[in-house]
Amino acid sequence: MALLRFSPEFDPVSNLLTLQAELERYLRNPAIRLGVSGPGDFPPVNIFDDGDGIVVIAEIPGMDPASLNITGQSHTLTIKGERKREKVGESAGYHRRERPFGEFSRSVQLPDELDLDRTTANYEAGMLTIRVPKAESAKPRQITVKAA
Amino acid sequence: MTEQEIAAKEKQPVEGQEKTRAGRFFLPQVDIYEFGDSIKLWADMAGVKESDVNITLKDGVLTITGTVSTNVYEKLSPLYTEYNVGNYFRQFELNEDIDDQRIAALMKNGVLELTLPKGERAQPRQIEVKAG
Repeated sequence: MALLRFSPEFDPVSNLLTLQAELERYLRNPAIRLGVSGPGDFPPVNIFDDGDGIVVIAEIPGMDPASLNITGQSHTLTIKGERKREKVGESAGYHRRERPFGEFSRSVQLPDELDLDRTTANYEAGMLTIRVPKAESAKPRQITVKAA
Repeated sequence: MTEQEIAAKEKQPVEGQEKTRAGRFFLPQVDIYEFGDSIKLWADMAGVKESDVNITLKDGVLTITGTVSTNVYEKLSPLYTEYNVGNYFRQFELNEDIDDQRIAALMKNGVLELTLPKGERAQPRQIEVKAG
């Protein structure tokens, strides 16, 4: 399991190169059976393990965080919302219209040992970060051995 | 009522001019609208805060750069990825004369909104970016 560690001694460029190489390695990783609703759907997601559960990161710039609809049911985490265009009025002509807008909905199937009830979500600078921690019952337990 | 569903589009890496900084740069997707008195540009740069945006206008060329931080990825192990992360870079040669004294830049939720009022061309300058 490749743990991303960014050393403060390294300059930001090396850290970014490391991150880019690692993200590339796990691109559409066929070994992961997380039942993500097809790539090509919006928004693209990156899924990580933070040692304590799963972290799902999606880039959805320009959203009002209150309008993001994140639901957890059974083993499914769903991200829903609508990206709306800024109002420009009739008198505008456009030279470029590249940014995607519209409704979206994506689901991720999570494994058993995660606790959807304690899911937290954070939206900052257009990045949505969802943390789903491991259920208490799934955490490793230390078992004491008594001497006879 | 038709439901418009959006599809994901892969990030486009910058081609052509090579950078001295290593690492893949991506072209931010933009919308450019023209009004009678100004041009407005919106650029999607997720992961970029207003302090990490750099905009310059020189000799009629507008250059937009946005840098991302790797901090949020600290101590995470990738399992499955669909997109890569990198700094943003895009340049435009402006066909209009822009009044650079009145250019306004606003960065909010990963979207840069740039207002370029039409007017006389002036000296090259750095543009201050405000937080949205």
